[in-house]
Amino acid sequence: MAASETPGWPLAEDAPDTADLAKCVHCGLCVNACPTYAITGLEVESPRGRIHLARAVAEERIPLTEAVQGHWELCLQCRACEAVCPSGVPYGRIMERARAQLDAAPPSKGWERRLRRFALRNVIARPRVLAALLAPVRWFARSPLRGLLRRSGVLRFTGPLGRLEAQLGRPGRPYRPRDNAGDGDVALFTGCVMSELFGDAHRASMRVLERSGARAFAPRGQGCCGALSAHDGDLAQARRLARANIATFEASGAETIVVNSAGCGAAMKEYGELLAGDPDSADRAEAMAARVIDFSEYLAGRDLPAGRLEGRIAYQDACHLAHAQGISAEPRALLGALDGCELVETEGADMCCGAAGIYSLIQPAMSGELRARKAAQFREHKPDVIVTANPGCQMQYEAAVREAGIEARVLHLAEALDSE
Amino acid sequence: MTVSAGLLQALRDVVGKEHVLHKPEDLLVYELDGTIDRSLPDAVVFPGNTEEVQAVVRACNGFDVPVTPRGAGTGLSGGAVPTRQGVVLATARMRRILDVDPVERTATVEPGVPNIQLSEIAAEHGLFYAPDPSSQKACTIGGNVAENAGGPHCLALGVTTNHVIGMEVVTASGEVEWLGSHGPDPVGYDLRGVFIGSEGTLGIATKVVVRLVPVPDTVVTLLAIFDDVESASETVSAVIGAGLVPAALEMMDRVTLQAAEAGLRCGYPPDAGAVLLIELDGIEEVVRGQVTQARAACNEHGATEIRTATEPAERELLWKGRKGAIGALGRIAPNYYLLDGVVPRSRLVETMGEVARISEGYGFPVANVFHAGDGNLHPCLLFDEREPGTTARVLEAGAAIMRVCVEAGGALTGEHGVGFEKNRFMPWLYSETDLENMRRVRGVFGNEGAFNPCKVLPEGTGCGEMAHQQGALAAAGPDAYV
Ligand SMILES: Cc1cc2nc3c(=O)[nH]c(=O)nc-3n(C[C@H](O)[C@H](O)[C@H](O)COP(=O)(O)OP(=O)(O)OC[C@H]3O[C@@H](n4cnc5c(N)ncnc54)[C@H](O)[C@@H]3O)c2cc1C
Ligand code: SF4
Ligand code: SF4
Repeated sequence: MAASETPGWPLAEDAPDTADLAKCVHCGLCVNACPTYAITGLEVESPRGRIHLARAVAEERIPLTEAVQGHWELCLQCRACEAVCPSGVPYGRIMERARAQLDAAPPSKGWERRLRRFALRNVIARPRVLAALLAPVRWFARSPLRGLLRRSGVLRFTGPLGRLEAQLGRPGRPYRPRDNAGDGDVALFTGCVMSELFGDAHRASMRVLERSGARAFAPRGQGCCGALSAHDGDLAQARRLARANIATFEASGAETIVVNSAGCGAAMKEYGELLAGDPDSADRAEAMAARVIDFSEYLAGRDLPAGRLEGRIAYQDACHLAHAQGISAEPRALLGALDGCELVETEGADMCCGAAGIYSLIQPAMSGELRARKAAQFREHKPDVIVTANPGCQMQYEAAVREAGIEARVLHLAEALDSE
Repeated sequence: MTVSAGLLQALRDVVGKEHVLHKPEDLLVYELDGTIDRSLPDAVVFPGNTEEVQAVVRACNGFDVPVTPRGAGTGLSGGAVPTRQGVVLATARMRRILDVDPVERTATVEPGVPNIQLSEIAAEHGLFYAPDPSSQKACTIGGNVAENAGGPHCLALGVTTNHVIGMEVVTASGEVEWLGSHGPDPVGYDLRGVFIGSEGTLGIATKVVVRLVPVPDTVVTLLAIFDDVESASETVSAVIGAGLVPAALEMMDRVTLQAAEAGLRCGYPPDAGAVLLIELDGIEEVVRGQVTQARAACNEHGATEIRTATEPAERELLWKGRKGAIGALGRIAPNYYLLDGVVPRSRLVETMGEVARISEGYGFPVANVFHAGDGNLHPCLLFDEREPGTTARVLEAGAAIMRVCVEAGGALTGEHGVGFEKNRFMPWLYSETDLENMRRVRGVFGNEGAFNPCKVLPEGTGCGEMAHQQGALAAAGPDAYV
């Protein structure tokens, strides 16, 4: 069973680093932190299992089969495993690279991958195309048609579209970065989908940053951070996007780059790693990464006059904030300081909600299981407000709230802090 | 392939198709546990309850195929590795908490429940489950029972066997039996005690009744820093000699401290030669007195600094270095081989000297972590397996260290078990008659050698696939050592 049966594996470039793989001493301490293991009880759906498979493929013990691909693709890339691993195994990096290998010759679902890649490269990464595509979505979200469709029940039969509808909140106006270099000292990163569907969160972020005494601005010319592409194994595209952002933010003159989306923040803090092999960009990427700071991390170090928000607030960690960036106390402390709020801890607040970028579209069953866990907690604790710090999660919680049958608002951390 | 289509079908009939794995890719990760031994199973089956466990065991026996139980696979002696292939019986689907009785202070759980979950559930009633292996977030109660697992907090409260009241088991021959009692005082032969620590060779625990203990009023953690291991060891003797029974008494040596500092930034002074962690708990006034005594003992034996913590967050900080120490070793060496030996406390310093001498002779740096209170040493040999021949020499050095422990009047294992890894050392401790008697005990539970084969007792033949550890090691590749 030589790997040569799978032409192209392992690709010389972007194969999981054998030193990274070797760091795993298969102690198993990570398995219970893994959502897919929690649901399935199968070690092949655990971090240890996935790493072991990557290693077996790299060592040419087994070919890259459909089953192997399936186990990798069920991974949420939530990095809960990485956060608890005592050996410091860089799981996120291993999995991105393992997926990059599927490009060479995916054992199955080739057309699906190509379609996905096309969408990530030509829609998500192009602000104008994305804007044109999402404008009708925003309109639909607020139109009477939506209520009609919901009541008619036809959405249940529309597959992925119905699932997307369930995740859609009531998006406000888009927020597109238009500021010039030097318009402030703290630059806000606005992202792709976030600036189109979560404009309110960006506006709230700007106000809160100003209230904390910062001169915030959103430099024009920035775009998608590249995380979605990297997670999909399209490292070439991720690098292209990273280089573009590096140029934009270098030109902006901002000392500090505040990111209010956990997934983007995690990816941008790792630009150095992503571009380590590129002599022209490596140092600049490192320098940029060092300037990136999460929204809550930034505020924790500043004097923010306390706002006011009535009700019971359930904070749900975004994986790429809690696990990838190690930030879980700061958002809670900021929320806890709000007048009138009672912070409730729900079980599994730091376990992945199943949104995981585009995962909810690709793996609806597992995503649904994880959402149901959240819904069960919401039903039990009946929070008035659910707060998180990542747009994808926010969408998943919209759906979970409906599933739980409770009346709760889903807010971005910035929106919660913005209330006075 | 020892599993025939007939057996595969029989297994599917018992547990359902979706709970039997047999594709090569799916089996791969079940070839190992937390240590170096490897062997691929032919099938992995996930029964959901006692009846299914029984039916699986009977089906395998009927087809003459070996069965190996598996919990979370965190074991450190190859216990869950299917040495002679066959079927791995995994308890991952059996993770229900069946009952918590705050009045009787017991809980009844299925074997696949992770250790930590017991304490989490018990916390609602002000109780906890005492044995706390460092792997507690992952390892299962079934695996704990099999290995008679211990942990830092077992010094005062005892190990697994002191906290398991009774259990339901499916024996190797496929009978369902209850061992021990539902209440505290069993009568007759203590078959429960025989089963605990039998490393999955007598049968499969399917329900376990454990004792829960009250969370102590007051807990104080002291971290004392010393110039060398000798002074720290003398302190240990002095603390115990003073009649104190700390909840935990742990030691780390210089190399470990450097690794912990590099990986975890615990704030240890750079020149610290050894650190002692002493945890005292109980009623406030009593604890206060004990803290004074323990501090005095530390000062008397040359502690250069003593830190004290009472709040949970502060205590956690002091424990951070210890809990992450083994993992942090990965940061100063590409590989480490973790040993588990026991010596009488009085021989600790002398044995340490021997360990240092042996590892130096072989040219391996050694890091030491101990459960000092009960003489349980964990020397970790640091090496780089990419250097040709190193692996074989590391094993040799490991064997020499085990020998030293035995000769000092100690034992082959404090808590990780004999498993496959150390079964060949058993004759150092036991006569042929002893070993024969153990084989007979195994026979009582219906195991003539095919149930979790090649574990605990040395087997002359029949473990062909794994015949020599060296072979397994060569196959294991870099970093297969915990
Ligand atoms: C980082 C690390 C730290 C550790 N620290 C400690 C420590 O402090 N103290 C300590 O004691 N151990 C420690 N261990 C070792 C290990 O965690 C324990 O031996 C644990 O009890 C194994 O549990 P498991 O569920 O992983 O069992 P597995 O590894 O799956 O199996 C272990 C043995 O139990 C048998 N078995 C499993 N389930 C059952 C069942 N239901 N009925 C009968 N037999 C069964 C298996 O056949 C096997 O022989 C550590 C391990 C690691 C990786
Ligand atoms: S990833 Fe880390 S925690 Fe998980 S098995 Fe490997 S070494 Fe252990
Ligand atoms: S990233 Fe998340 S889903 Fe993937 S293996 Fe780690 S814990 Fe499991």
